[in-house]
Amino acid sequence: MSTTTAAEDAPSARRSEGEDLTLRERIAANPRPALTWGAVFALLVALEFGALASGLIVLTRTAVVGITAVIQVALEALRAPFEALGLEPVVGIVNDVLGVWETSQGRFPVTSEAGDISRDTVGKIAESKRHDAPKTFSLLWVQYQLSDFLFGLQHFTESVPTLLNREVIPNQGFKTGPAGPWKNTFLGLEPAAAWAVRATLVYVYAFLTMFWVFKAYNVYREHYRVADWTPRDDVVDRLRGHRWGQFGFVVVFMFVTMAVFAPTLGPTTAEANIESTYQNEVQYFDSESGQVEEVFVGQANAGAKSKGQGDQNVGPLSYDDYGRYHPFGTDVNGQDLFTFMVAGSRISLFVGLIAIGLSAFVAATLSLLSAYYKGLVDLATVIAADSVIALPQFLILIMVSVAFQGHWLSRVYSGGMLIALVFGLSGWPFLWRAVRGPSFQVAEEEWIDAAKSFGQRVPVTMRKHMLPYILGYLLVYGSMSLGGIIIATSALSFLGNGLGINPPTPEWGRAIAAGRNYVSTQSWHIATIPGVMIVLVVTAFNALGDGIRDAIDPESEGAEGGGAAAGGGG
Amino acid sequence: MSESVDPGVGEAVTTGPESAVETTEGDVLVEVEDLRTYYDDDSLFGAPVKAVDGVTFDVRRGETLGLVGESGCGKTTLGRTLVRLERPTDGRVLFDDIDVTTLSGEALKEWRRNAQIVFQDPDSSLNDRMTVGEIVREPLDVAGWRSAEERRERVRNLLDTVGLQEEHYFRYPHQFSGGQRQRVGIARALALNPEFIVLDEPVSALDVSVQAKILNLLEDLQDEFGLTYLLIAHDLSVVRHICDRVAVMYLGHLMEIGDTEELFADPANPYTHSLLSAIPEPDPTARKQRITLRGTPPNPRDPPTGCPFTTRCPAKIRPEEFADVGDELWERVEVFREVLRERNRADLSVRQRVKRLLGRRTQYDDVDEVITDLFDDAPVDVPEELRGHIGEAADRVRAGNPGKAVAYTDDAFSSVCDTEKPAYYAVSGSGRESFCHRHGGGYESVDDVVERKRSNDGLDV
Repeated sequence: MSTTTAAEDAPSARRSEGEDLTLRERIAANPRPALTWGAVFALLVALEFGALASGLIVLTRTAVVGITAVIQVALEALRAPFEALGLEPVVGIVNDVLGVWETSQGRFPVTSEAGDISRDTVGKIAESKRHDAPKTFSLLWVQYQLSDFLFGLQHFTESVPTLLNREVIPNQGFKTGPAGPWKNTFLGLEPAAAWAVRATLVYVYAFLTMFWVFKAYNVYREHYRVADWTPRDDVVDRLRGHRWGQFGFVVVFMFVTMAVFAPTLGPTTAEANIESTYQNEVQYFDSESGQVEEVFVGQANAGAKSKGQGDQNVGPLSYDDYGRYHPFGTDVNGQDLFTFMVAGSRISLFVGLIAIGLSAFVAATLSLLSAYYKGLVDLATVIAADSVIALPQFLILIMVSVAFQGHWLSRVYSGGMLIALVFGLSGWPFLWRAVRGPSFQVAEEEWIDAAKSFGQRVPVTMRKHMLPYILGYLLVYGSMSLGGIIIATSALSFLGNGLGINPPTPEWGRAIAAGRNYVSTQSWHIATIPGVMIVLVVTAFNALGDGIRDAIDPESEGAEGGGAAAGGGG
Repeated sequence: MSESVDPGVGEAVTTGPESAVETTEGDVLVEVEDLRTYYDDDSLFGAPVKAVDGVTFDVRRGETLGLVGESGCGKTTLGRTLVRLERPTDGRVLFDDIDVTTLSGEALKEWRRNAQIVFQDPDSSLNDRMTVGEIVREPLDVAGWRSAEERRERVRNLLDTVGLQEEHYFRYPHQFSGGQRQRVGIARALALNPEFIVLDEPVSALDVSVQAKILNLLEDLQDEFGLTYLLIAHDLSVVRHICDRVAVMYLGHLMEIGDTEELFADPANPYTHSLLSAIPEPDPTARKQRITLRGTPPNPRDPPTGCPFTTRCPAKIRPEEFADVGDELWERVEVFREVLRERNRADLSVRQRVKRLLGRRTQYDDVDEVITDLFDDAPVDVPEELRGHIGEAADRVRAGNPGKAVAYTDDAFSSVCDTEKPAYYAVSGSGRESFCHRHGGGYESVDDVVERKRSNDGLDV
């Protein structure tokens, strides 16, 4: 009965068919599609290499600071009981690792300002505090050295010219006469047009790159993949027909682009317009004196406030008295609201991604462990998760904010890192609850037993045979919770008083707080635009989650309540 | 075994396996000694589920040993324990004289190559996110077998061996039918060249037309690679078709084990009798006297002290003091006991529990109707002594304490079947063994009792 098909099967024959070749060999055999794709992609990368590289370095540095921060806080928490027990040797070892130094005045933790990753001034701070830098090998020394090194790298990459650059397409110029031509702007266009050109180009570039990355999947599928069908194809195809999900994706993508290209996108930069207003100057044509004057940004801001009454308002899509264009108008301090928004999108995304990433990691690990081992392990995770849920998240945040006052961690990204860590470490039970059920479901599958029966290692079994089945749920719930975190961060900043993101770092919630008294006046835009943006972005994250859910599990389409029903799918 | 392809062939094979047994007698591959697997993880309190409760048997090299029994009797757990998917609670499994129950770490991983398992549900046994090639290759990857290229080559050969196309390497399980998926599962089990394969109901999830093909494939593979099978099944015709020997399992115990044809033609154990009588007869005009068992199997958390089958046995030994009671009346006594046990087992709502604690009766505490039904219109007069015992038991039920009633009847009506575990008695020259007190001498033979029961047509329960 066994159909004996060509047992002569020379492997060489199969190699020529391309089945047994590695991807590299398959590309070598048919290089044309890959080369075409690669050439265009290389061009796209080259255009923005400096920006992309420095973006990657910023991410790496964030990771370095975040990881060392978590380790340090954990060690400090661990040290306490040993101190209470008087176990000096253990405390000593922990202190060595932490890099605590002893002086005649007592014991001080080493602070490292290198952790402040949000501004360019860090280099200067690091310079001035050089004598404070940790001298001996310790956790903070490692952090300091790595951070310092990455800083140097970043400065270098930022000096590499890019196409989409404020210098290439400048919009900050000044009139040379009452109706005279603009100087220092792109092609002598007026600032509004110059800014619009740059912003449009940024989005065109972003969408083009996104399209091209997706194109890679098509090229691979068409030319280099041996399997002519995979379950992933169905997921992609279903997502193709999901309008609501696509709406979510496009808005989320625009939001991410905004965050990534924040310094390029604004009519001015957050550093010049918001943070160091008296270290930067603007030139403008003064109609009274009839000549071009120079003034500090801070002074210009003071004359461009939007405060509702009288002529104190610079609305959306208008110029102020200093010839500066404000696409979203100005806020109560005369700062450019659009610049504030794009800079704020960075911190929102940063907090959201770090928090969700941390939550998802903890949730996935614990749910896989408890689903695989069941019994006591499961009981322990249930108790741990319930204990964390039982603590009011808001209260933890306030407590942590107070407890970490003065700690270097609270200064990283103006408190953004601390908020992200708190949200991540207190929010994982919600994600865990969502994936625990699917984890148990997939743990019951016989392929898990099969893997055990031939001795597959447990971590591999979890990664290969369980994780793919809960990853979809993590994406769905992760993207939905991300909106919640964005709202929560804004809400905290709205409340202010040391909660949330501290000034001067822009945060959407603080714009709402500042503008809420002017909603009924001509300065309505200050609170309304950030409010609408938050609604839009959060809706988009939910829409994206819906889309992913329907794509991985077609049976749940239109079903009420978050969460795909059956496991497997795809 | 390969010559007995026709499942209809009855007695023709009887001499064959016997001689085969002679030659392979010493060649035991797997030796199971008093194996016990209890599950106690689902609750922190209460007795463990005794899924496998003291099982001893051998699997001989190159044979197919069938393992049959009703759902929940522990046959799957036994199979899974043999390939160390479950950790045994007690007992030994000697595989080529190595005790595998104590293996761990690298030694266990090394041994696992020798013993593989084919699962029941082909939908669940293959990871849908991997290609067929990856699935079959995974055991080889884990074992670090040779080079990547040789592994891929071996996978292709395996796919060919189990009757799939080599091109299927890059397909996903979704693209296959149940039968084809089961072939993939078999290829994966074969990947590491095992000696022993546990087949856990390999065809019960498949269409009948496909079942035969898969069974034939398994037989061919056994011939080709000299495999030893433990075939777990509840389909008796499958077992008769493919197995050299059969073990019959009930409530964690082996009731009978021996040569297939012999066992089917001349069952020794009362449970085997009942099981075989449940095989449907393809001839609609044939009249067949089925043995209907009363009640349900006991709770494996609390199995009977004596023979596991005692609560339902059609050939149960009667206590001597009631030897003169008529068969039919005695059957009614046994039914009465079963009713009491069911009552005792019933899950009560909180309200009913409170009622009982307050000394009030619940609907479960009404026994008068049962007694009327069973004994008032009995064909013969119920002896005074018997009636006394029944009355005593009924009183305890009325008092809201069926547990005490069960204990009372156990005490009053118990025989050797209730109190002592039977031994394994050799019941034929070929070494067939049966787990029943009746083989012990001094008792009427199982055949006679069961035959009488059948012809009596008994009491329908």
